Amino acid sequence: MARLNVNGAVREFEAEGDTPLLWVLREQLGLTGTKYGCGIAACGACTVHVDGVPTRTCVRPVSTVGPDEKIVTIEGLSRDGSHPVQRAWVALDVPQCGYCQSGQVMAAAALLKAKPNPTDADIDAAMSNICRCGTYNRIRAAIHAVARGDLKSAGLSIQHSDGSTT
Amino acid sequence: MKRRAWLLGTTVGAGALLLGWMALPQRSRLGLASMMAPGEGDIALNGWIKILPDSSVVLAMPRSEMGQGVHTALPQLAAEELDVPLASVRIEQAGWDAVYGNVAMLVGNLPFHPLEEEREDGFGRVKAGRWLVGKFSRELGLNATGGSSSVADAWEVVRLAAATARASLLGAASLQWKLPAEDLKTARGVVSHPSGRSITYGELARVAAATPPGVVQLKDRKEWRVIGQPAPRLDVPAKVNGSARFGLDVRLPGMRFAALRLAPMLRGAPGRVDAQAALAMPGVDRVVTLPAYAGSTAGIAAVADSYWRAQQALNAVQVDWLPPPGSGPDSQRVQEDLRRAVERRDGYRFFEQGEVDRPLRAGARTLEAWYSAPFLAHATLEPMNATARVAGGRVEVWAPTQVPGMCRAAAARVAGVPEDHVDLHVTLLGGGFGRRLEVDYVAQAVRVAMDLPGVPVQLIWSREEDMRHDFYRPMHVARMRAVLGAGGEALGLHIKSAGDAISPRWMERGLPALAGPVDLPDKTASEGLFDQPYEFDDQRIEHVFAHTGVPVGFWRSVGHSHNAFFTESFVDELASELRRDPVEFRRALLRRAPRHRAVLDLAAERSGWGLRPLPAGRARGVALHESFGTVVAQVAEVSLERGLVRVHRVVCAVDCGTVVNPQIVAQQMEGAVVFGLTAALHGRIDIRDGVVQQGNFPEYPMLRLASAPLVETYIVPSERPPAGVGEPGVPPIAPAVANALFALTGQRNRSLPFAL
Repeated sequence: MARLNVNGAVREFEAEGDTPLLWVLREQLGLTGTKYGCGIAACGACTVHVDGVPTRTCVRPVSTVGPDEKIVTIEGLSRDGSHPVQRAWVALDVPQCGYCQSGQVMAAAALLKAKPNPTDADIDAAMSNICRCGTYNRIRAAIHAVARGDLKSAGLSIQHSDGSTT
Repeated sequence: MKRRAWLLGTTVGAGALLLGWMALPQRSRLGLASMMAPGEGDIALNGWIKILPDSSVVLAMPRSEMGQGVHTALPQLAAEELDVPLASVRIEQAGWDAVYGNVAMLVGNLPFHPLEEEREDGFGRVKAGRWLVGKFSRELGLNATGGSSSVADAWEVVRLAAATARASLLGAASLQWKLPAEDLKTARGVVSHPSGRSITYGELARVAAATPPGVVQLKDRKEWRVIGQPAPRLDVPAKVNGSARFGLDVRLPGMRFAALRLAPMLRGAPGRVDAQAALAMPGVDRVVTLPAYAGSTAGIAAVADSYWRAQQALNAVQVDWLPPPGSGPDSQRVQEDLRRAVERRDGYRFFEQGEVDRPLRAGARTLEAWYSAPFLAHATLEPMNATARVAGGRVEVWAPTQVPGMCRAAAARVAGVPEDHVDLHVTLLGGGFGRRLEVDYVAQAVRVAMDLPGVPVQLIWSREEDMRHDFYRPMHVARMRAVLGAGGEALGLHIKSAGDAISPRWMERGLPALAGPVDLPDKTASEGLFDQPYEFDDQRIEHVFAHTGVPVGFWRSVGHSHNAFFTESFVDELASELRRDPVEFRRALLRRAPRHRAVLDLAAERSGWGLRPLPAGRARGVALHESFGTVVAQVAEVSLERGLVRVHRVVCAVDCGTVVNPQIVAQQMEGAVVFGLTAALHGRIDIRDGVVQQGNFPEYPMLRLASAPLVETYIVPSERPPAGVGEPGVPPIAPAVANALFALTGQRNRSLPFAL
């Protein structure tokens, strides 16, 4: 039995040491919010925090994660979806299919922790996760909304040709 | 023209024969209460609506959520007519009755020209064709999510089902209180009377189930409070906390995982398989040889107690892969063959008007240009997967699919059981884009599970298998020819394109009983060409159907995805040849297309076209295209940065008829621009000797946040019935950017992806 510290709890599991952390989280520990997208750390769907550092788990052998390193997955980001990034994602209706969004949210949470007021260039550099549905405009707007601390007025308003906005 | 009339005549005739044969009654799509699965304390009022004791509502959901917002838009329709808050509508997977079939998708696939419809008086060919196909579709009951059709299809039936349920609830209250129903009101799940009496839907449901609805009337649009509102998506909270369940997230007790490898060559097969070493590895259950299912390629799967172990086992299997008979397809050769087909073979004429072959008038000139578009993969972010359990003559499947009924049929065929012995659960889809209109991965999962009776097996394709064994957007080429008069008049347009047909191949794979010995002309090949809106006196729009041997499938916006690039770039070439402004030139050719003009005008105005100059080094390009009943115009602002195309801003105007949720419309336009731009800048699948060369994202790159343009969406108000929004934002972006690049550099890109 090996141990991992995941979402504030010590969890035991059995897997070969070369098993990527992704599959241990998803299969041994039942945390399916972290996704498989490419297997080569190219898409970011598998992003979690390891000691606060956004980490692509599809290429991270589980043996390289120590039992004291703190892993946070999307399930552990907040108890009730109240993390500011999650709230901003809801307020701006960011997700479409939603498959990449766990990774996007984790990457954004790490960025905002490191840089509470990120510039567009900071966002460009930190948010390299693939979204096949193309939700990038809303991801950027949601990160800025968190930075402003203003979630209510965060909507990307839609303007109608009669001049009204919704 | 004659050939076309004959073919269509045959289609309609065969349909009539089939209908006469089956002697079908006109059937309501409302369905029966018994069609909904009974739950604790809930009461079904028809095939779509159940009422719970707490007055919340369950809506039968026959459509798959793949990001397009259908699990919010359809509940909005129900909430509106039932007078309940949107938040109190829950969805439940619909059953298998034909009432849940998608009629709009099939009717929308008929090759009728809009002008023909407009000119038809009374009950002509267009109306007869639509009526027949509509009737046939209702009987077929094909439950499919595609063709940007979900809202258009549900528009009448879901509102009617909800309004009927409301009428029964009112009737029940009227009986109970002995008061006329006309005096009663409904709001927030409560029936009330001006006297102050009130009763909840939950309390009334049982009586309502036995109360005829009486006169049912849909609300006037002036009374709408939910339709047209930017209601927050109901699926979003679960998608930001990890609890949303996609196909890959199915977890069952004792579950095993299967890793898959198909023959590297398309349509190849495993020869000698040595699994000895693999089977000796820890946790490994089985190595299964898979035949070619549903148009896919044959291969092998390894099953183990974890996916990682299954993958390691798969790598340890020694396989001699056999090539397919003959030579494997080669994309370079396909392109040459298609071009030759345009030059040498007769095309099927989708549209003909006037006489394109007439001698050139004095001063007139001909312009000709060749365009091409490559094979493309879907690359949904959730790779293909399905989970299956086979035991005791029954099959249970969990699948992220756009076609649950076809999956169920495929599972039954593979397992050799009747369809009603298959339970199929539709999960959320981590992207669809047409890839999940196929059933190959479900058939494979069932086959693997058959070797482990009673054990649930989750089959997971790696990204590489997903990319190398897709059903690709077909490669198309087109020769575009226009005749311009001495004064710049648009005299003639002759488009001849070539490429694979998708629909007949798809029917063979998923609906073999309906696939015919002869391909009927597939509208998807020429959509966006034969029905292009610009007024040319003489027109011939024809297509040469090819059989390249490459597996081809529906890819978001289908034929429009390349045909808009062909027409909208070529129209821009004509404008440039005549030294006319691209927007003004288009407007002049759209005198009889007011919807198109209004959309174009709105995009031009909001983008500052012709008014607001751009900084040096930037240029604008415009494109306009109708698909799936929706007209979209986009103006792209483009520059070159260190030799790379950079799209800064896209102004998008859309007329999609009545809008159910403007927020979702905007989301879909934003996403479609990124999807189409990814293809225009990077997308190509190359095939050499039958082997797909791209296998993962580094070779088949996706646009990322840093290079995504800012997309602004403007909606043209409309009272037409709603049309789709999932796909129509894709087609215009490639030509809009191509036209901007031309304005910037004077170089014309006539093939995708752009080469600079």
